[in-house]
Amino acid sequence: MVLVVALLGPFLFSDFFTHTLLTQVFWYGIAAASLIFLFGYGGMVSLAQVSLYGIAGFVVGNAVTTGAAKGQHFGLDPWLGVVLAIVITTLIGLVLGALASRSFGIYFLMLTLTFAVLTNYFFGQVTVFGGFSGVSGIQLHTPGVIGNPNIHPNRLYYVALGTSVAVYLLIRYVVRTPFGVALQGIRDDPVRMSSLGYNVTLHRTLAFAFGAFISSLAGILFVWWNDHVDPASMDLSAVIDLLVIAVIGGLSRLEGAWLGAFVFVILNNYLRSVPGLGHVGISPERFHTAIGIVFLVIVLVSPSGLMGIWERLRNRVAGAGGSIGSAPPGEGPREPDSQPAAG
Amino acid sequence: MTETAADEQAVAGVAPALRLRGVGRRFGGLHAVRSVDLEVAPGERRAILGPNGAGKTTLFNVIAGDLSASSGSVELFGQDVTHMPSRHRARLGLARTYQQSRLLLGLSVEDSIYLSILGVAGGHLRPVILKRRDRAIRQRAREAARRVAIEHKLAELVGSLSHGEHRQVAVAMALASEPKILMLDEPASGLSRGERLLVTELLLGLDRAITLILIEHDMDVALRVAERVTMMHDGNVIVEGTPDEIRANELVHELYLGRQHYADE
Repeated sequence: MVLVVALLGPFLFSDFFTHTLLTQVFWYGIAAASLIFLFGYGGMVSLAQVSLYGIAGFVVGNAVTTGAAKGQHFGLDPWLGVVLAIVITTLIGLVLGALASRSFGIYFLMLTLTFAVLTNYFFGQVTVFGGFSGVSGIQLHTPGVIGNPNIHPNRLYYVALGTSVAVYLLIRYVVRTPFGVALQGIRDDPVRMSSLGYNVTLHRTLAFAFGAFISSLAGILFVWWNDHVDPASMDLSAVIDLLVIAVIGGLSRLEGAWLGAFVFVILNNYLRSVPGLGHVGISPERFHTAIGIVFLVIVLVSPSGLMGIWERLRNRVAGAGGSIGSAPPGEGPREPDSQPAAG
Repeated sequence: MTETAADEQAVAGVAPALRLRGVGRRFGGLHAVRSVDLEVAPGERRAILGPNGAGKTTLFNVIAGDLSASSGSVELFGQDVTHMPSRHRARLGLARTYQQSRLLLGLSVEDSIYLSILGVAGGHLRPVILKRRDRAIRQRAREAARRVAIEHKLAELVGSLSHGEHRQVAVAMALASEPKILMLDEPASGLSRGERLLVTELLLGLDRAITLILIEHDMDVALRVAERVTMMHDGNVIVEGTPDEIRANELVHELYLGRQHYADE
């Protein structure tokens, strides 16, 4: 149903709604899906996903732009830019994963947060890659099938939609493979998995690199959509936005990524123009207050986000207390047991 | 129920399944295990008994590699594994259960047992589904579930099962990987009398090729299953012998059997 509406999007909705909002929902959803994959199936709360898509964006920007643009403007073939962005981002994910994957819980989160801050400052200070004001004019250098999204916005819309569907199906597939099932085992009890014969650190590292790969796709779509990438695209506020999207949607269901992105983007745009809100103190600048309230309400009503609410409604209608299917429960990994266990 | 198994192996010159030499483990100032020498022959059924705090579970953790030894050495089938990580020991054929069942609560029963087999079979990182291979492993997983009578819950999440069912899943996971050495940490604790009988039957029916090492508070289970018994106290081995010798030993009575009624319930 949702997919059919999405496919007909350009015919059903206004240009603004389709091209500005829905395309944004798609790439935001992909980024959130990488976060939900890592948390829901790997037990890793990563705050690095925004930085990783930012890196992919900067790679594309530096690789494909020409002449007047800031940064390196190598003027490479746009497809080469795509490949470079994916490869470089995934490799960075692999290295960061190798560093962080020995840590669990809050320590893992802090390491990825450190990475997010570092990346933000790096691109702000290192002017050879574009510096503080970033790289612009990327829409002039998209692959031929997409063309300039300003002139052919429907093409980017369908590419983003197609990528979203592909990412969704890919993650759903991967979590049923030996790699994915073992990753869920590691989420539940890494020490136990180690004594079953698994290399927990390597497994988590590779899962993190896979998450970086997904993020890189979001980053490429982001710069095609936005035409521009700068350090503010990956500052702490952006990091928190993505976390809010994932939690609103529901960390335990992959679909929640796009649902959360939809709610976030819609609120972000229309909250500003709802008449009367200004009189109760919610002016456009108060967007974060408003999204914060929405966030609080959703988390209090349903820890598993909007997908959790949807699920409960559906179960009630079906009259059955249902299982949650193959979805992982939102349970992080337990800390390795370091206490003396005397027999 | 004799010590012939161990003797025959010694005569034939076969390396013991497990050999500990002077194994100790400290936690700060606490000597959980002081200096333990232990030899278990291939195929032997060994019970490790002792009061709470004797160091049995710590010893298990050192053998399995979940904890490193502070001193001494651990050998599996003649190979020194003292510094080998637990995952490599698992691939040598060592499987264990935990006192507080450490299970994968977010996975289904079938997936849990599947992972137990896959852990030894290899191919952990394969990101594609190979229909024939995965089906074969799942078939083995279902068979293991049938052996411990949990096959009716294959699709349920482990986290939704009862305590007794958790024990069954833990044993199924350990058995499914077809280990050479199986270490069970109190497999009968917290079970009803009927369930304990089932566990005893299951242990008595185990393939003779599997070396079984058992920590068990329930003397009925331990002394029925074991061929040899090692008594631990305060981090040391104090007595080793056949079940009959253990029953007759004064020291054991004083330390342990006399309090069996408390330990039992």
